Amino acid sequence: MIPVAILTGFLGSGKTTLLRHLLRQPEFSRTAVLINEFGEIGLDHELVETSHDSFIELATGCLCCKIRNDLAQTLDDMLRRRDRGELPPFDRVVIETSGLADPAPILQTLMTDLKIAGRLVLGGVITTVDAVNGSDTLDREEISVKQVALADRLVLTKSDLANGAQPELLDRLAGLNPGAPVLRAHHGRVDPRRVFDSDVYDPCAKSLDAGAWLAEEAAQEHSHDRHDADVTTYALVREQPIRAVALTLFLEALAEHCGADLLRLKGIVKVAECPDRPAVLHGVQHVFHAPAWLERWPSEDRRSRIVFITRGIPRRWVEALLDVLDAEVAETQADARKF
Amino acid sequence: MTAAAGDPVCELLAQSLAVWRVAGGVERTSGGAILVRAGASEICIERAPKNLPFRWMVSVDGRKRGAISLLGVLRQVRAALDPGYAANRVRVAVSPLVPS
Repeated sequence: MIPVAILTGFLGSGKTTLLRHLLRQPEFSRTAVLINEFGEIGLDHELVETSHDSFIELATGCLCCKIRNDLAQTLDDMLRRRDRGELPPFDRVVIETSGLADPAPILQTLMTDLKIAGRLVLGGVITTVDAVNGSDTLDREEISVKQVALADRLVLTKSDLANGAQPELLDRLAGLNPGAPVLRAHHGRVDPRRVFDSDVYDPCAKSLDAGAWLAEEAAQEHSHDRHDADVTTYALVREQPIRAVALTLFLEALAEHCGADLLRLKGIVKVAECPDRPAVLHGVQHVFHAPAWLERWPSEDRRSRIVFITRGIPRRWVEALLDVLDAEVAETQADARKF
Repeated sequence: MTAAAGDPVCELLAQSLAVWRVAGGVERTSGGAILVRAGASEICIERAPKNLPFRWMVSVDGRKRGAISLLGVLRQVRAALDPGYAANRVRVAVSPLVPS
C-alpha cells in the first residue's frame, strides 16, 4: 500500500515552501507529488524543484469541488503508469491542495474510491498555519478553521518572522484540534520524519499509532468548545464494551443525521463480541471507512475512545445516542434469550 | 417544553431537534408515551404491543407506523419535522462489525 499524504493550509501559509524543502530530502526521493492550484494558470509546480526521482502532476482547479471527481482517476493513472515503468517507482504520494480547498471531500475520495482502493491508503493530513497571519486568517476564513480541525499534524510556518512564541495562536490551534501535534518550520525547514511519520489511516497497520491521534487531552471527559465557526472537539470514553450491533446503528445514525457537520471522527473501540481486538474507526462527514481490527490493544488503556470534530453537534446528543442504542440492543438481546 | 431529566430517550429526542435545527420540545406523558411538538406538528411515540414485530409505534398526524429500533424512530420523527430530510436521506451500508 502506498501512503497518500494531504498537504493543506490556507493561501500563503507556506505549503509550497514546505514541500520544496521536503522534496530535497533523501527520504522523499521516491515521492510523487500532485499539486493543485486555484486559478487559471498553475504556477506552484514551477516553484518546486524535485530531486531526480520525484515528479509532479499538476491539476488546476480546486480539488474539493471543480476537479474532485478527477482526483481518483488521476491517481489511478499514476499507478498504471508506474506499473508500466513510465513513471519512477514512487512509494509515497503527496497531494498539495489549493489554499481554498476543503480537505474533507478529498479525504472521502481517498477513503472510498474503488479505482484506488487496495493500492493507496490515506497517510495523514498536514496543515500549514502562518504564524504571522494565522489568527487573522482563522477569524476571517471559515475554510481555514476546517483545514486546521481536520489535520493530523499542524506545521507552524514563518515563525522566524513572528514576534514571540504566538501563545494565543497556539492556544487556538490546541482548542480546534487538541490531538494534532504542532511542528515549527523555520524558513520552510522541518524534520520530514515528524511530518510524515505514521500512516494513521492504514487499516492494515499492525502497530497503529492510536496514541498520536487520540491524544490524552482529547480523550479527557470534557470538551474543548471554541467558537471558531462552531467547530467543537470532544471525546467519548467508555469503560464498558459496546455491542457490535449498537456500534453499527450508532455509526449509521451519525452518518445519516450529522452529514457535513461531522467534520471528522476517529476512534478505537472495545466491541463486546471481540474485546481483545480493538476496532479502529475513521469517518469524514457521512463517509466511514470500514473498521480496521487490530491484533491487540496498542497500550494498557483498553477503554473505547472516540474523538469527534463537529460543527454544532452537541456532545450530549452523541452521548445520548450511543447510550440509548446500546441499551436498546441489550434489551433486545435479553428478550431474544428468553425465547 | 423540555425533556424530562433522567429520561434518556426523551433526552435523545430533545437533542435531536437541536441537531436538526428544529425548534420544539419533548415530554413524557403520564401514560408513558413521548410527545414531540414542533410548530404545528405533534408526534406521539409509544412502545409497540408485544404481539407486533416492532419495538416502537410512531404516530404522526394520526398515521401510526412501526419502528424496529430507535434509529427508525429518529428517521420517522425527522421525516415529519424536516422537509428536506426525506428527499436527501443517505442510506448507509455498514460493514459487518466483527473481525473476519
